[in-house]
Amino acid sequence: MAVYKRRYNPYTGSLTPQWSRFFVLTRFAFADLFKSRFFVLLFILCIIPCLFAAGYIFVANNKTLQLLMQLRSDMDLFKVESQYFVVIMMVQTQAAFLLNCWVGPVLIAGDLTNGALPLFLSRPFTRADYVLGKLAVLGLLLSAVTWVPCLLLFGLQSGLARNGWIWSHLWMVVPIVLCSAIWILTLSLLSLAVSAWVKLRIVATGIIFITFFIPAGLGEMFNAIMSTIWGRLLNFSYMLQLIVSHGFREESGRLARRGWDEIPIPAAWGSLICLCLLALVILNARLRARETVRG
Amino acid sequence: MTTPTIELNGLEVQLGGRTILHGLTGVLKSRAIGLLGPNGAGKSTLINTLLGFHTPSKGSARVLGLDSHSNGKALRSLVGYMPENDAFISKMSGVRFVRYMAEISGLPSEQAMERAHEAFVYVGLGEARYRPVGTYSLGMKQLAKLAQAIAHGPKVLILDEPTNGMDPPARKRLIELIREIREASDICLLLSSHLLRDVEETCDEVLILRNGQIASICNLVEERRANRKFLELETIGAEATFTTALESLGCECAVFTSGRIKVVMPDSVEIREVFKVAADRGVQIRRMNHRRDSLEDIFLNAMEQSGVADGRL
Repeated sequence: MAVYKRRYNPYTGSLTPQWSRFFVLTRFAFADLFKSRFFVLLFILCIIPCLFAAGYIFVANNKTLQLLMQLRSDMDLFKVESQYFVVIMMVQTQAAFLLNCWVGPVLIAGDLTNGALPLFLSRPFTRADYVLGKLAVLGLLLSAVTWVPCLLLFGLQSGLARNGWIWSHLWMVVPIVLCSAIWILTLSLLSLAVSAWVKLRIVATGIIFITFFIPAGLGEMFNAIMSTIWGRLLNFSYMLQLIVSHGFREESGRLARRGWDEIPIPAAWGSLICLCLLALVILNARLRARETVRG
Repeated sequence: MTTPTIELNGLEVQLGGRTILHGLTGVLKSRAIGLLGPNGAGKSTLINTLLGFHTPSKGSARVLGLDSHSNGKALRSLVGYMPENDAFISKMSGVRFVRYMAEISGLPSEQAMERAHEAFVYVGLGEARYRPVGTYSLGMKQLAKLAQAIAHGPKVLILDEPTNGMDPPARKRLIELIREIREASDICLLLSSHLLRDVEETCDEVLILRNGQIASICNLVEERRANRKFLELETIGAEATFTTALESLGCECAVFTSGRIKVVMPDSVEIREVFKVAADRGVQIRRMNHRRDSLEDIFLNAMEQSGVADGRL
């Protein structure tokens, strides 16, 4: 099919491995995303708290700098322990939420608006591959603002601190990765489900916000009426906060004082997993090559 | 023995609680198959089932020997599909859209880009390849859909109403392209259309559907060959010796009033031999027609026929 010949020739070259083809979606989505200046700005803004956190760690481990800043060395101001990472994690998960609200709603809607889905699914490409490709976009992006910078900060602190800090705090790697993973999965699946349902970005973003705020309010109403605590299971942000605090062995701290740790940790995990499953059910219903009209 | 292009074994498909395809059974062996039928006959459902989009409730469908349900992925790796409805990503440029689809089909990035450019030039959209697909006219979108269907070099090309919304010159160009693609390689073609002319110009075999049942399977090549051997003559001066002479060549003759004769010629007899016999006997042949049992006649007959309720021929 050479251009100058203007005739059809079949393709006889090599093919890429089937397992790797989902990544084509991810690659093209990233190329589209980074064309947007607003997105690049948002992404940089999401990283900025980590730069401040890195500066904090640097100061915390530099006595000379503390003296120059006229800070007393016995002050407990610069302490890098689990509480510090809880704060960083909570800040970064909120940044991830904002990033997700911008990126997620357009990922699938763009394909569904003009019926491109049959073109994907008429190839050796399953619906699972399609979801995986789109999920990888959010997974990589949200990882870049959650557990990856947190691990880098952990590495920085380990490198700067002395007295075997790394060995006594190595357990924190697990909650950093695990808590980020459940949050990324929840956010990604939810926004993909919304993207598969709603075509307009602004409406989809609104629905993602609503999913986090309206059920929380309804849950509190339920608690007030029924005199129970189980309505809090609908407050997904606090379920994450609960999981993070528990992961960083902070359950006897701030949250306990607010009464949030009355919800058992497995129930908090269950709440987020249920949200993921609901998103998967929606995706399964919406991502079809052909719609079936009943009746 | 060659593998049939499409094999349907009691294929039944139910959608939304309704049976759309009722136990279709048939074998289509030609390389270019037309799928005909009025609106709602089940053409698109059959295509979607062949692509594995719908699961058969009974029976099976095979394309090039691969079961559409159990070997769906292997089958789809051979297919290039041009859907009936709008199917594009509006903000992507044409060439990037085709490259994207080619990469999903498994072409490495560089080859996909090269083939995307080639496919775009080939379908005649070379000048518009950097424009977003959303800005294309309806005809250009059809061509872009064809480009994405052929860019990865499929073995089976499935075209669902490819000439929809095209003006006559664009339609003619598209039909020429389809014929070129068919001739240039060993690609198998399945073309669904409600335009008989599209099918007649591109296909060798036709599957006619009516109400989700097979109304007819017709081999157009054999039909055309048979038509070439069936002559209607209007003569002056023809006597019994003329028909006897034709019969001695192996022809079958039926004589009507006013010198009209119908002749069925065996394969071994050429038309010039008829002229020679006429010249030898001083018979004037004033008019000679081949029987033109067009696809329209075949289609109308299939629609009128009764006794196809079981979906079998």
